[in-house]
Amino acid sequence: MLSVGFRALFRREILRFVRRPKNTFMPPAITNVLYFAVFGVILGGRIDEIAGYPYILFIVPGLVVLGAISNAFENASFSIFHGRWNEYIHETLTSPLSYVEMVVAYVGASAVRGLVVGVIIAAVGRAFVPIGIEHGLFLVATMIVITALFAGLGIIGGLVARDFDDLTVMNQFILRPLVFFGAVFYSLETFEQTWQINLSLLNPMVYMVDSVRFGLLGHSDLIGVGILPGPYADFAPLVSLGVLTTGTLLVMAVDVYLFKIGYGLTD
Amino acid sequence: MPPAIETVDLVKEYGDLRALQELSLTVEKGEFFGLLGPNGAGKTTFINTLVGLVRKSGGEARVFGHDVEDDYQQARDAIGLAPQEFNVDRFFPIKEVLTHKAGYHGIPASEAAERADDVLKRVGIYDKRDERFDWLSGGMKRRLLLARALVTEPDLLILDEPTAGVDVQLRHDLWDLVTELNEEGTTILLTTHYIEEAERLCDRVAIMNEGRKVTVATPDELKERGSDTIAVRLASAPTATPDLGPYAHETTVSGDRLEVRVDDGGATAPRLLNDLEAMGHEIADLEITRTSLEEIFVDLTRSEDRTVTRSSAESAGDDEPPANGKREGEREQEGVA
Repeated sequence: MLSVGFRALFRREILRFVRRPKNTFMPPAITNVLYFAVFGVILGGRIDEIAGYPYILFIVPGLVVLGAISNAFENASFSIFHGRWNEYIHETLTSPLSYVEMVVAYVGASAVRGLVVGVIIAAVGRAFVPIGIEHGLFLVATMIVITALFAGLGIIGGLVARDFDDLTVMNQFILRPLVFFGAVFYSLETFEQTWQINLSLLNPMVYMVDSVRFGLLGHSDLIGVGILPGPYADFAPLVSLGVLTTGTLLVMAVDVYLFKIGYGLTD
Repeated sequence: MPPAIETVDLVKEYGDLRALQELSLTVEKGEFFGLLGPNGAGKTTFINTLVGLVRKSGGEARVFGHDVEDDYQQARDAIGLAPQEFNVDRFFPIKEVLTHKAGYHGIPASEAAERADDVLKRVGIYDKRDERFDWLSGGMKRRLLLARALVTEPDLLILDEPTAGVDVQLRHDLWDLVTELNEEGTTILLTTHYIEEAERLCDRVAIMNEGRKVTVATPDELKERGSDTIAVRLASAPTATPDLGPYAHETTVSGDRLEVRVDDGGATAPRLLNDLEAMGHEIADLEITRTSLEEIFVDLTRSEDRTVTRSSAESAGDDEPPANGKREGEREQEGVA
């Protein structure tokens, strides 16, 4: 897998965003300073603890997820679409790289951007409130899986997009609403109606936010609302991670298939 | 040793339009092969099928024996492509563009950097190595496309109209370079609108029209297929058009000038002179004009009805559309996300 060709493409994709921090790393850093200042400090001071955590601490995992997956998605979709738009993706397509190598390089690099942004947001949060890591390995695994998942979805977005507006629509009108209703700023346990919880559980973001929250804070809404039956309730985060991992592999398989048939890439 | 390129009944359809129609073509290893044809003839579609930018609808296509779809990695590794369009990575200085491309072909970073320097020197833009593509002049961009094709040291170099719109000096530089490469053993496939270019460079040429192969021959063979014109100036204008033998396909008279179209001007001229003298005409001057390759090309690609094919629809434009359906002028550098 780690052929010279793969490493060359992976490196190219990493350099593309590393060399432009004003476009890639500064915006989420500044945005999250605002989030923490407004939601955490100004509004959070008037909100009671949620699930036993100060509000500003409770929202850290969700903001990390929001930034990480948005950037992973944005990076992959932009890189693919911009390459299509200016046709320089031909440099990759006419190379002897396998379709699997191409997809893993694009997904891997975009996931790295998502992870870096996630760390930046956590660091910004750390400036406002002390943050510990309760389940480090689980946290790392979850972050890798969800950034790869959204990088993989970003590739699909980059392949189906017809113009740059399509990319904006995907990120702003689909991704962000799902994240905001993914229990970033509230706990599922605050819902009093069962249908509210059940409706939320249809949102895949809930599982991602919950998994990261479990990794960072040790708290899981999914355990709290009892998504799994009695004796298995505590396994909810692991099951979430398993399902997310499966979803990620499926999305990457779709990516490889789309590259193979040349969807959006070849005539 | 398998041919450098071998296609059998290659078909590419876009809905009802057939861009390639049962195209069978063989380019031998080491050849300098030309593809000639009017705009929309299918030349770029043919090339893009080989490199994986167009998916064939039918038939077979192999590069050095490797199927372009089943063995796409081996096929693509053998090819260096300098396309018509400026499809170069805008994010990086041109030297890095080249090292990336070499890397994709499995060339380790240090060697890739050396090769990038070498090819930039070879095409004469080494001093621009730290510039980004958008800052280069048109001629330099064309040179970079060639450098990018060469950096992987391909066995098959495909040049899609490499001299379109370039100045005379650059054209000659490119001609010298590709001739040198061919002499070093690189197989070269060249598409061009310039007949002179094909005549000067190519061992063989294929003439394409509306997705079909019209003919394949050496430039000399093609020229032999055309008719020559013997122009004779007579001492006095004839009163009527001389009735010559069947060797004269067409005879026209204009004052004291007689023009006779024949198959082989050199071989026919003595007989024509004898016949004219036998008719009582006195010969003052004689000139034989051989058919140019360009005339033969026009003759071979002339079509009575080009309104129903994809190629005709595009002949008013430039050539086949790019994969995403945009033209060069529509592409702009967008912001970075």
